[in-house]
Amino acid sequence: MSTEYFQKIAETNVWGAIAPELALGILALALLAMEVILPKVAHGLIPRLAILGQLIILGVMLTAGSSGLGYTGEAFGGMLSFSETGQLFRAFFLGTSIFVSYLGMVSLEKKTLPQVEYFHILLVITGALMLLAQANHFVMLFVALETATVGFYILVSYFRDKAVSLEAGLKYLIMGALSSSILLFGIVLLYGAGSNMALAGGSVDPLNFGNLQKFLAANPSDMLGLLGMLLVISGIAFKIGVFPFQIWIPDVYQGAPIPTTALLAIASKGAGFAMLLNLTTVFSPLSEWLYPLLSVLAALTILFGNFAALTQRNVKRLIGLSGVSHAGFLLIGVIAAEKVDWATNAILFYLFAYLLASAAVFSVLAHLGKEDDSELTLDDLGDLAKRNGFLGLALAVGIGSLAGIPPLAGFIGKLLIFVAAFKAELYGLLGVAVIGVVVSIYYYFGIIKAAFFEVWRYQDEDEETPEEPVPGESLQLLGKLAILVAVVGTIVLGFYQSPLGSWLAG
Amino acid sequence: MIGLEHFIGVSSLLFAIGFFGVLLRKNTLVIYMCLELMLNAANLALIAFSRYHGGMGGNVFVFFTITVAAAEVAVGLAIIVALFRKRQTVEVEELNALNN
Repeated sequence: MSTEYFQKIAETNVWGAIAPELALGILALALLAMEVILPKVAHGLIPRLAILGQLIILGVMLTAGSSGLGYTGEAFGGMLSFSETGQLFRAFFLGTSIFVSYLGMVSLEKKTLPQVEYFHILLVITGALMLLAQANHFVMLFVALETATVGFYILVSYFRDKAVSLEAGLKYLIMGALSSSILLFGIVLLYGAGSNMALAGGSVDPLNFGNLQKFLAANPSDMLGLLGMLLVISGIAFKIGVFPFQIWIPDVYQGAPIPTTALLAIASKGAGFAMLLNLTTVFSPLSEWLYPLLSVLAALTILFGNFAALTQRNVKRLIGLSGVSHAGFLLIGVIAAEKVDWATNAILFYLFAYLLASAAVFSVLAHLGKEDDSELTLDDLGDLAKRNGFLGLALAVGIGSLAGIPPLAGFIGKLLIFVAAFKAELYGLLGVAVIGVVVSIYYYFGIIKAAFFEVWRYQDEDEETPEEPVPGESLQLLGKLAILVAVVGTIVLGFYQSPLGSWLAG
Repeated sequence: MIGLEHFIGVSSLLFAIGFFGVLLRKNTLVIYMCLELMLNAANLALIAFSRYHGGMGGNVFVFFTITVAAAEVAVGLAIIVALFRKRQTVEVEELNALNN
């Protein structure tokens, strides 16, 4: 441990490359400061400032170039590694956070709870997820993941005046902590295997992805390494809700506030796949064990998610279970990425299409104007198209894209994944996926049917029908703009992918 | 002579006790203790590997794990207390407002 050693590490600290994460952290703290400084009447401005700040960060990041703000390769002594994929995941998480901020603004306006903390924690989570997507070391991966997960516990139980929100928080807490412990124990076993100097490829820093890959390549049948991989994959499977680790999803999605449900559905899933894509490279020497395992999980996940959603009437549970099946489709992409290089890009396209479609659907749900959103059923969507045509259209486009109806973005996303799977000769999984898609059409169209066609309702003639809240009466310019971006984005990505297509081929 | 395998054996045992405790116990606080046990089992294994294989990486990682565990406890106990105030119970079987 000489001075040169530390100097060499210090020289790899390129702070400019993590400027977006730093900016998010500063913005998060600034929001708390603003709550103290600004007079009470101006507190409504704070969420808008949060959205504006994030839009500026996203804009700067996108104009600054496609690969890590001009930096590529490892930095911070091997803790982080910047790549084009990582940069796209950053944009994905930031985009999600902007939509969730908007949803949070809508949902929290009706409540008397403290508001600013929600956006503070949301920004911290987003920063952590952005670092997670670029982690190149298990310590970085674990700390970034836990920063995000602990934030999620708070956001799930944020409506602390409601028992269901707290109960969902507790269930998520137990399941999340359990999966983190499993992940940690897996990391420890990998450390124990890789730090053994007596074996070929052992190193003092085996938690670095590159060093670990070298070790596993030299000892592909090391028992500790195999067990470690199994536990790490199980821990991640919990986070993305892969069968048989999906038990928490319906309950937590139902109880959590709508903005948090959206964040869990989009960002948490994206984070899981960002980790999985990095780790499949690390575990590539163990591929004869890894890929059969993932294939079985993917098939079971698709079947379970779709069949469990069939009989579901509660909208949030339904979206959660359909999210399970989306995780299955994405998993097929991960498996295909072993043999087909561009499958990684197909996964990213699918995630972006999923982001836009989910943003449209959750925006509509947030605007339905129901007091207790955990009890939102399909009946509450009745005649939505007649009562508010704009919201009805947004819901139809969002659900259509999730179902994979051409010409929407979701269809192209599924098509790319299926083509990748075909090229990788995963015929069995493709068959399961097609069954899943066919089944999913049934329940997705159940939602559209509920929103667009007359529902017969029992009405007592003597009794006056209670005044129903008009959906979307709180819809302001910002809300229309947000929904419009999601809807137009979904349609445009469905028709026009030639720049993306050339990028995917390249 | 106590060797590495003894430490790893104890650590795995603690991890298994914690894991099955989470699955089988009914009281939320006990479940929470079991979760902490699992994290500490991982710490013990880290320290043992670090000591017997040389290298400081494992020792440093333990500090991160302890910090993460502390953060989890702070948030987790707050949620449990808030839930107890609403429902007057911390038994898992009685917390079933969310189901099909």
